[in-house]
Amino acid sequence: MGILTRATKNLSRRKTRALIVIIALSLALTLLIILPPSINAREALTQQTFNDLIGADGALNATVTLSSTEIQCDYPPPYLSPTISISDVNLPQPLMNESLYNNITSIPDVTNVIPILYELPTANRSYTIYGIPLDTASLLKEPSLLPANITDGRNLRVGDSGVVVLDEETAKNFSVSVGGTVTISGLNFTVVGIEGSELPQGTHGATMSLSDAQAVTNATDEASSYNVFVDNIDNVNTVAARISSLDPNLQVTDGLSQLNTAEPLQNQMAELIQAAQNNLNQIQGTGIVEIGIAVIADAAIILFIMLFSVRERTKEIGTLKAMGASDSAILAQFILEGIVLSLIAAIVAIAIGVFAIPTLSSLLLPTPVQVGATPETLPNGTMILTRITSGPRPFLGNGSNIIAAPITPEIMLLGLGTAVLLGALGSLYPALKAARTRPAEAMRYE
Amino acid sequence: MNDLVLKIENLTKIYKIGRREVQPLTNLNLEVKKGEFTAIMGPSGSGKTTLLNVIGCIDKATSGIVLIDNVDAAKLPESKLCKIRRDKIGFIFQNFNLMPYLNARENVELSMELAGKFQGQRGARAKEFLATVGLSGREQHSPQRLSHGEQQRVAIARALAKDPAIILVDEPTGNLDVTNKQEIVKLLVDVNQKQGTTIIMVTHDEQVAAKTQRMLLLNDGKILQDQQKGPFQHESKTKEMH
Repeated sequence: MGILTRATKNLSRRKTRALIVIIALSLALTLLIILPPSINAREALTQQTFNDLIGADGALNATVTLSSTEIQCDYPPPYLSPTISISDVNLPQPLMNESLYNNITSIPDVTNVIPILYELPTANRSYTIYGIPLDTASLLKEPSLLPANITDGRNLRVGDSGVVVLDEETAKNFSVSVGGTVTISGLNFTVVGIEGSELPQGTHGATMSLSDAQAVTNATDEASSYNVFVDNIDNVNTVAARISSLDPNLQVTDGLSQLNTAEPLQNQMAELIQAAQNNLNQIQGTGIVEIGIAVIADAAIILFIMLFSVRERTKEIGTLKAMGASDSAILAQFILEGIVLSLIAAIVAIAIGVFAIPTLSSLLLPTPVQVGATPETLPNGTMILTRITSGPRPFLGNGSNIIAAPITPEIMLLGLGTAVLLGALGSLYPALKAARTRPAEAMRYE
Repeated sequence: MNDLVLKIENLTKIYKIGRREVQPLTNLNLEVKKGEFTAIMGPSGSGKTTLLNVIGCIDKATSGIVLIDNVDAAKLPESKLCKIRRDKIGFIFQNFNLMPYLNARENVELSMELAGKFQGQRGARAKEFLATVGLSGREQHSPQRLSHGEQQRVAIARALAKDPAIILVDEPTGNLDVTNKQEIVKLLVDVNQKQGTTIIMVTHDEQVAAKTQRMLLLNDGKILQDQQKGPFQHESKTKEMH
C-alpha cells in the first residue's frame, strides 16, 4: 500500500462529496479541454476569410488598369446588351476599325493611341488571342501590356513577329514548351516564353504582336480596344467626350473615373478586413477570458475542498505525524489527493468534451463570420463588390452552424497534464498547511 | 544509560495561552528501564498528557534533558524528532485514531510503511500482528465495522508493528466497557511480558494502573509518588518524591 493508494482510498471516504467536487471540477476542466481546439478552428476559418478578402482586394486593385492620363475605349461585349437574347452569347466582340483609330489620333491633346486586339475563346479554340503593338513608343508608354509573369523563356520584344508567349494552361494543352512551334489558325508561331497563371487579373492565353493577332483572327487593321493617352490630366474629360461623340456606342473609361470607382470599394474592402480582424480578436479575447475563469475555478475548487479536508482531518494529520510521517510525506499525500481528484475530473471532462464540443463551443465562443467579396465591372463601367456574404460558416456537419474541432489525443493529454498541474497547484497551500501542522496541537484538535 | 530506555532530567514545559503562561511540567526527573510497564496517574491538569507528548516527541521540552534510547530529544529539531517518533515510539490513543479509509490490515501496514520496515512482507506481518491481538479473520474490516475494543486492538497491533523502543498509551480503556477494558489491559500486560516492550501508560483508572509494575503519581507537573511494585506483584515499595 503506497501513498497513491491512500490518496485514492481517502477519496472514497466521502463519496457524495467527492462526486459533487468531481462534477464541479469536470465542468471547469471541460472548458479547458474544448476551448483551445474550438478557438483554433475559428482562427482557421477567419484566416480563410482573410485570404479570401486579400485575394478579392488584389483583384480589385487589378481592375485599376489605366493611368490618370489614359482613356480606354471599346465596344461593350454583345452579351451585355439588353437587346441580345441568351442564344447570342457567343457573338464576337465588336471591333474598331482604322478610321476610328485615325479620328481618335487626330483629336487635339492626344499623344498616343495604343490598339489592342483580343479574341475570347471560340468553339474551335479554348484560349484567348491577345495582340499588342510591339513598337518602342507603345511599350514605353504602357509596359503592362506585356505578359507580367514569365516563368520560362523570355518575354515579347520590340519588333517580334511570328513568336508567341503562351500561358501555362495553353502550353499544356498544346503540349509545347519554349522553343517549340504551335499552329494557330493555320499560321506557325515559335513559343518564346511561358506565362505563369498566378495573376489576379488572369492570363492572356496566347500573346503575340498586334499584326500577328490581326492575321490569325482575320481582323486586318482592326482592334478590340484603344488605350488613348492625353498630354495633360486637365484635358482627359474633354478628350473622353470627343471620343464618345465619334460613336455613341463606344464605351469610354478614363483612369481617374476607374480610380474614383475603385477607391470606395477599396475602403469597403478594408472595412471588411477590419471586421474579420475584430471578429478574430473577439473570439480570442472571449476564449482567453473563459480559459482564465476555468483555470481559476478549477484551482479554487481544489484549494477550498483540500483546505476543508485538511481542517476536517487535523487529528488524522496529528496521528500520522505521531506515527512518524515526515512533513514531506504529509505534503505528498495531500498534493496527490488533489491531483487524483483533478485527474478523475479531467477524464470525465474529456468524455463530456468529446460528445458536447460542437454545442458547448457554439455556446461559449462567438461564431466567426464569413466575409467574401468579388469586384466586378458593370456594363456602364461602374465597379461593384459582388457576392458579399457574411454569417456563420459550417465547419463540421452539413449546412449547420456548428463550428468545432475534434478532441485529439494530444488535446486529451494536454487536458490531463493541465489537470495534474492545477491539482498540484490548488492543493499546494492546503498540503503545506497540513505538513506544517504541529502534532501536539493537531492531537488536541476536536 | 545501560538498561534505561528513558531518562528525563529537570524537564520543564511552559505553554503560552494568550498572554498567560502555563507550566504543566516543572523540573521533572524520571528514569524508565527497558521492559518496564509504567502507569502515570494524576488528576486532570497534572501534566500527564504533556509528559506523554514530550516523551513521544510530539511536543518539545522548554528546558531539561529527555534521553530516549540515549538520544536527547529536547535538543533536536522537528525534522529529527520525526525520525525518533518513526523509529522509537509507538502510540496508542484513547480514541484509537485509526485511519478510517483503511482497513485493519492496512492500518497496521501503514505503521510499518512510515517506519520503512519489513518492505515486501508488510501484509503478512500485519496479519501476524492482528492475530497476536486476537483479530484473525478481521483483517479486511474497516474501523467502522469493528467494535471499540477491536479498534483498540488494531491500534495496539499498529503500535507493535514497527517494533518501537517505547509504547506510549494514553487512556487506553477510557472509551471501553468493563469486559473490553479487562481484555485490553491483559493484552498490554501480555505484550509487555512476552515481548519485553517498554510501555508507559497514562490512565485515570486505578484498576488498570494496578496491573502495571510501576505507578507514578503526578500533580502540578511534578512526580509526587513513584510506586515500584516489582514484576507484577501487588506488594509495593513507595518512594515519596519531594
